[in-house]
Amino acid sequence: MQRRTFLGRTLLGVTGMASSSVLGLAGALTARNAHAADTLKVGAMIPASGPAGLFGPSSKNCCLLAQDDINARGGILGQKIEMLFGDAGAGPEAATQTALKLWKGAGVRAFVGMHDSAVRGALTTMLRAQVPYFYTASYEGGECSPGVYVTGETPAQQLAPVIPWLSEQRKLKRWYLIGNDYSWPRETNAIARTHIASSGGSVVGEEYVPFSVDNFDASLAKIRASGADAVLITLVGGASVSFNRAFAGLGLAAGITRLGTLIEENTLAGIGVQNAENLYSSAGYFAALQTAPAKAFAARYQARFKGPDAQLNSLAESCYEGFLMFEELARRAGKITVPAFNVASEGAHYDGPRGRVEMHQRHVVEDILVARASPSGFEIAKTFPAVGAGQSCKV
Amino acid sequence: MTAMHASALATMGLDLLYVLSILALTAIGLGIVFGLLGVMNMAHGEFVMLGAYCVVFIQQRGLPTLMALPLAIVVCATVGWAVECYLIRTLYSRPFDTLLATWGLSIVMRELIKAAFGAGYQNVTLAAAQPLQLGTLAYPLYRLELMACVFLGLLALGIWFGRSQVGARIRAMTGNPVLARAVGVNTTRLASLSFVTGVTLAGLCGVMLAPLVRVEPYMGLDYLLNAFFVLIVGGFGSVAGLLAGTGIIGATQSLTANLLDQTAGYAAVLIVSILFLWIRPNGLIARR
Repeated sequence: MQRRTFLGRTLLGVTGMASSSVLGLAGALTARNAHAADTLKVGAMIPASGPAGLFGPSSKNCCLLAQDDINARGGILGQKIEMLFGDAGAGPEAATQTALKLWKGAGVRAFVGMHDSAVRGALTTMLRAQVPYFYTASYEGGECSPGVYVTGETPAQQLAPVIPWLSEQRKLKRWYLIGNDYSWPRETNAIARTHIASSGGSVVGEEYVPFSVDNFDASLAKIRASGADAVLITLVGGASVSFNRAFAGLGLAAGITRLGTLIEENTLAGIGVQNAENLYSSAGYFAALQTAPAKAFAARYQARFKGPDAQLNSLAESCYEGFLMFEELARRAGKITVPAFNVASEGAHYDGPRGRVEMHQRHVVEDILVARASPSGFEIAKTFPAVGAGQSCKV
Repeated sequence: MTAMHASALATMGLDLLYVLSILALTAIGLGIVFGLLGVMNMAHGEFVMLGAYCVVFIQQRGLPTLMALPLAIVVCATVGWAVECYLIRTLYSRPFDTLLATWGLSIVMRELIKAAFGAGYQNVTLAAAQPLQLGTLAYPLYRLELMACVFLGLLALGIWFGRSQVGARIRAMTGNPVLARAVGVNTTRLASLSFVTGVTLAGLCGVMLAPLVRVEPYMGLDYLLNAFFVLIVGGFGSVAGLLAGTGIIGATQSLTANLLDQTAGYAAVLIVSILFLWIRPNGLIARR
């Protein structure tokens, strides 16, 4: 209690000081750049460093695409938007400092963030619902802090329709759950257990490995011994790559179906399609999505952005969706404040690359895709229309 | 049922041998540089990465994968020679400064690779890395080949180091550099040769591992840490120490992970390393 009061006071003090010193600065800046005054500044918090740094370039590309598309339509509330990027990859403290500078220093009016939950927690604490904050990454669910609008997928979305369908398709009964040892895999698996049970299957093993592990032989021996016919993978990035390469190398791929909820295009590239037999992934978007809006989006992206780090993927694309939702809420609300956005958010919807996305309880209802790895990369195997996030946040 | 148990046991045995092979392979280059020259090469893992990216480079151009071996030797030896000549040579008597210098080098190497290949994961393909069915047991043929290579390589190195003229000179140099110079050993050239050999072995290790592991700019860190644990436990500067360290670290990790779980396996390796640092700071087999 005491600590909280202390923290609250310190934060108030810091923000107070920052705002008073920055107001003068902002005045000076607007006077110098007259044209900058009529842009609407938006902060894009994306990873430029750290383990998720490889998503930095593609995420930035999607943000730039959103900026240009929105400005081509006339901007937001009559103002052109101007993108200011902040690094969300160097940990919660650094990200908080960066966001504070963008907000109080540069005058950002809203944030769009694609990063981990630790950074999200730190940012919601710092922002305290004073500016709207759109969180776009797939995450474990449960974010109801005021002023936060979640456009990323929850485990309920990625698993509720998918586990029964895949179990039916592939005749799966015995599931082994493996993930890295932190909150997202544990909470995903807690939800997975209920869907496995209700589709007539059982969980034959559940394992969490530290991030330091790069040899999965012992886990693979346990999977083999468990007699599992399905593995739900919530390993992240490099761990997922190492695990899946060894999984196929040790001959498990033909007999055991793999399902992942964070295997996007970069991770599959590292696993290698030769190691991805019977590998499925579920998400709200894949670059391979063949609907007309998705194809148009991917074509424009690929025409504009080239290079080894430009690979279009579901995490990067989520940034674009975050901006579309921001645009829609601003249009409905008529001004950019959290109370106005709260009222506007219920039922707000737009049609983007993912199709129709509709906000309820500050989470989204959207189509969920199951992709299957093929020799040419992901192919969409099934689309579940209008899947809810399974959250109950007050508006 | 017994056949299944037998194949599970055989897989476990092969997994253990594989862990030991990889540990020995990654530790040997670090052992040569640290044991013989006293240089704690923090960029060791980045030379492993450099070797792996040689395979990526060759495969991107559609050339035969085996060409990655000579390419890695040329690239790592050249980089190693330049680094020894311009960065390490002036720092031999200052171990902490070599640590800082090579740490900086590791960052530069990662960033250069990122600039050239991107930050993403690379996929190295090799037909032999796919599973080979042996009765009820499936195992990649390539892992078996890799183990055989490591075994033969270590044997050859042990014999060469113990019996050859160069081996004797290196031992003279590390035993007493001043006396070695006095009797006409060119220690400058010998030190350069040792460094180049150490980092080139790291590069070859990267080439050999590339089809099995994840390849990305940060991959080197895993190999540096594990190799470091092997040297702590085994002691520096002898093939016997390398083997002892490999055996203890590999068996501890593999058996604990199999019997309990991966977290326990990693914790056990850390505990064993700390115990050795505490009780036997020179390792099991200290040469000096």
